[in-house]
Amino acid sequence: MKKILAVIVIITGLLPSLLMAEPVHIDIEARGFKRLKVAMPAFAGSRALADSIRSICAKDLEISGAFSLIDPKGYVNPGPMSFVDPSSLPGWNLIGADYVIAARVDVQDSLVNLVIQAVELSTSRVLINTVYTTKADTAYRAVHAFMDSFLNKTLGLDPLFSSKFVAVQKIGKKKQLYTVWCDGTGAAPIKGGGELVLDPAWSPDGKKIAFVSYWRNNPDLYVLDIASFKVDTISSYRGINTTPAFDTSGRKIACTLSKDGDPEIYMMDRDGKNPLRLTNSWAIDTSPSFSPDGKRLVFCSSRAGNPHIYLMDVFSRKADRITFQGTYNTEPVFSPKGDLVAFTYLSKPDGRYHIALIRPDGSGMRVLQGTGKGDESPTFSPDGRLVAFTSTDGNIYITDLIGSFTARVTAGGGFSQPSWSKALE
Amino acid sequence: MRNMSRGICLLALLSLVLFASGCSKKNVGQVDEEVTPPQQELGTRAPGGDMGMEMPGSDGGVQSTPQAGALAGAAAFEDRDIYFDYDKFSIRPEDRKILAEKAGYLNANPNAKARIEGHCDERGTSEYNLALGERRAKAALDYLVFLGISRDRLTTISYGEEKPVDVAQNEEAWAKNRRAHFDILGD
Repeated sequence: MKKILAVIVIITGLLPSLLMAEPVHIDIEARGFKRLKVAMPAFAGSRALADSIRSICAKDLEISGAFSLIDPKGYVNPGPMSFVDPSSLPGWNLIGADYVIAARVDVQDSLVNLVIQAVELSTSRVLINTVYTTKADTAYRAVHAFMDSFLNKTLGLDPLFSSKFVAVQKIGKKKQLYTVWCDGTGAAPIKGGGELVLDPAWSPDGKKIAFVSYWRNNPDLYVLDIASFKVDTISSYRGINTTPAFDTSGRKIACTLSKDGDPEIYMMDRDGKNPLRLTNSWAIDTSPSFSPDGKRLVFCSSRAGNPHIYLMDVFSRKADRITFQGTYNTEPVFSPKGDLVAFTYLSKPDGRYHIALIRPDGSGMRVLQGTGKGDESPTFSPDGRLVAFTSTDGNIYITDLIGSFTARVTAGGGFSQPSWSKALE
Repeated sequence: MRNMSRGICLLALLSLVLFASGCSKKNVGQVDEEVTPPQQELGTRAPGGDMGMEMPGSDGGVQSTPQAGALAGAAAFEDRDIYFDYDKFSIRPEDRKILAEKAGYLNANPNAKARIEGHCDERGTSEYNLALGERRAKAALDYLVFLGISRDRLTTISYGEEKPVDVAQNEEAWAKNRRAHFDILGD
């Protein structure tokens, strides 16, 4: 009996630390996953700023793919509320909340203080209780830091909101690069690069962007260093130099060159040296994307008469066709885990483009619902749980791997070819 | 005995939960940590306050920009495009005559150089269309070489779906946009 008691004491003694260290893992990729419900009463403090910061939090919950916000109309106390009063917990439980987020926003000179708290109702624990201090014009960075912490402490997920899109933005007849945080905050056009800039792609460390520009009256490849704004020419052969894609080490770039006559896939060092031709077909070969281990590439080829997705072993250069459904499959991208390939699929029944997913072995193809109005150019979130794309209205949208939601990121349109960065520091 | 130990176990767990929640409740209203998120923002650090990229060298546009009407008869050469079927880059039989006329012009003006632009309609994805436009320009180039024009007098550029002549979204407009356009570069 004493032995048993001692064991119980030891086990229970260990439990608190286990509870703290190991967040509950829920397979949120499983079909039928129910989103966790969050109640978020109005934030206290400086009114306009408190409301705008709360609305960014709400947006982030939406695009997280894991949470849904309970309509404030049902709250016993809709706020403003600086923190969650312990005596109010039964009231939040009553409306089915899994978590409550409360905050206070204060402005001091040009600095914003966000005091924000997240409470887990199943355990009555305060998961997060933090003051974030930021410059007023980048207060959304405090939300990103909080939301990444929230994703981690609730579901053990990797950072998401500290990642950005780079996309092509059309202004009049001109196309330029544009970056924006993945929730639509902090939009920043990158000027320069001439009249026509296309095909942006992040380096894996988020410090460089490869892109195509007609700066010298030819579609050539360049790499922008974000810290210095300096641009290096990577490839400017006769013909097209397009669709750059870094491997996960950042040391190699795959791209499309037509210097030998027709568009073929090449792999080169990140400075453009040692170009190595990987394909050899009479047809169009374009849009390469590396597997996470760098040993395989998916690309688009019209060698079967129509554009389809192919998987190549980089070492042997043997390529196998993996899509057999549809007659126009383009723009493949490997998922960060290497278990899926997303691509743009033309659906015969409705004559529209959709984002589709397929396993690299060609099995399990599924079409995501998306906007249903014509979706193109998929790109995976850094953790591989989400896919972003652009629709015919020219905006960037985010969906999950089962298409259970579609959230708009940008407004105003004019965007194409998004590329999703890794989590940035 | 078994029931008893299970009871103790439950009790212990219960007290643990109460203990944990009791602990956290003390924190309500206080702050666990203070964080200053990174402020790094693209576009705010550009040299000289200019948010533009520093592109390498000059844009070299002077040498290769088409010079419309630089040579006699060039306008006629530049006015006639050839067209392609959807997602195809083969020369249509009816366009062979147009290409023969262009070859005739280039033979009559041995110093003239020509640039062939390949274009696509907006259907399809832009990455693939850039490659398709390149194939269309190359198909026209190959045909002119077949007709005896020297390869080094001809250059190609693909604009994919980026420069439509008609922005309407119907078959008539798309047919106009699936084209190869010819410019005289002068010498």
